[in-house]
Amino acid sequence: MTIVRKFTPDVRLEKMLAEPGGVSVARALERATGNLETIRETCVAAIDAKVEQMAMLAQSQGQGRLDAIYRVSNQVFGEAGTFGLAELSVAAHSLCSLLSTADQAKVPLAAISVHLDAMRLLRRPEIVGDAAARGAVLAGLRGMTKRLVAQI
Amino acid sequence: MSAIDASAKINLSKANVLLIDGSQHSLDVMAQIMKGFGVAEIHRCASIEEADKNVRGKALDLIIVDPDIGDGAGYEFLHALRHSGGSANAFVPVILVSGHVRAADVARARDTGANFFVAKPLTPSVLLQRIMFVARDKRDFVEIGEYIGPNRRFKFEGPPVGSDGRRDNDMKAPLGGADEPNLSQNEIDNFIKPQRVMI
Repeated sequence: MTIVRKFTPDVRLEKMLAEPGGVSVARALERATGNLETIRETCVAAIDAKVEQMAMLAQSQGQGRLDAIYRVSNQVFGEAGTFGLAELSVAAHSLCSLLSTADQAKVPLAAISVHLDAMRLLRRPEIVGDAAARGAVLAGLRGMTKRLVAQI
Repeated sequence: MSAIDASAKINLSKANVLLIDGSQHSLDVMAQIMKGFGVAEIHRCASIEEADKNVRGKALDLIIVDPDIGDGAGYEFLHALRHSGGSANAFVPVILVSGHVRAADVARARDTGANFFVAKPLTPSVLLQRIMFVARDKRDFVEIGEYIGPNRRFKFEGPPVGSDGRRDNDMKAPLGGADEPNLSQNEIDNFIKPQRVMI
């Protein structure tokens, strides 16, 4: 018979949140959003650098490079979305999905390169204002990833 | 999960928060959000070794961790924390923040003992909602087999149909129908209507 032990830990956070003083939720959110703006430039530059880092990893012959690309792409996914680069985030997610297939070694290098080219393209000024073109890039990536994941 | 009341007040000026993520930029994002929320002490760790040192040395109020740090070492960190028995931080609220999750890690994430999961990309409003949720979460902790963490059943809808249930507080007999007519709206309103009291 399975033995279940139940207990209630003391959570200090609840009491703290309700203590007098503090700030309104609206003010807290406003300050947090303002703080993110102060690091936007640095973080966006880092995201671009991560795309190039993945390109270098793709060219390398090192063991574990696909796992390394997965990890960097996962970072791009999380960080790009926070700074409003939604499509870049979607492209990075698509690359993560591709690299998390059961047999990672069968993922063609060309498919990784297409993702990285798409990420670079999505950052180019001439496509930033063109929603249709950005949508077409993402639709192409989605179709390719779906097809490859089904094959591998 | 419902949206938070913008006029409600929060006080995190005494909170001690540990942030764990393999990416320095993700740590920057989380730290700036926490700073905006007025968190007093923010500890940033880019490795599990640093996180272990912080957990041993400080009484924490919240941990936010990306489990993908060091190839899934975040899951092991949380599992070890929940099993650390007498440690001051063994049952501290933990929010897992994750980006893309491999299919193989879904069950691992569920069984690791976190209080809540937040999908990246992070936004201040989603993170604040989840922090408020874990702070006010009334779920018991359970220890069953290898699992130690909040009860993973969010809803209790009674025992399965046709069974008496196994809990002490399961009702054994059917409640039956009401034996008086329902109150009218006027009668309900009168219960909550302010009344002048003469002393």
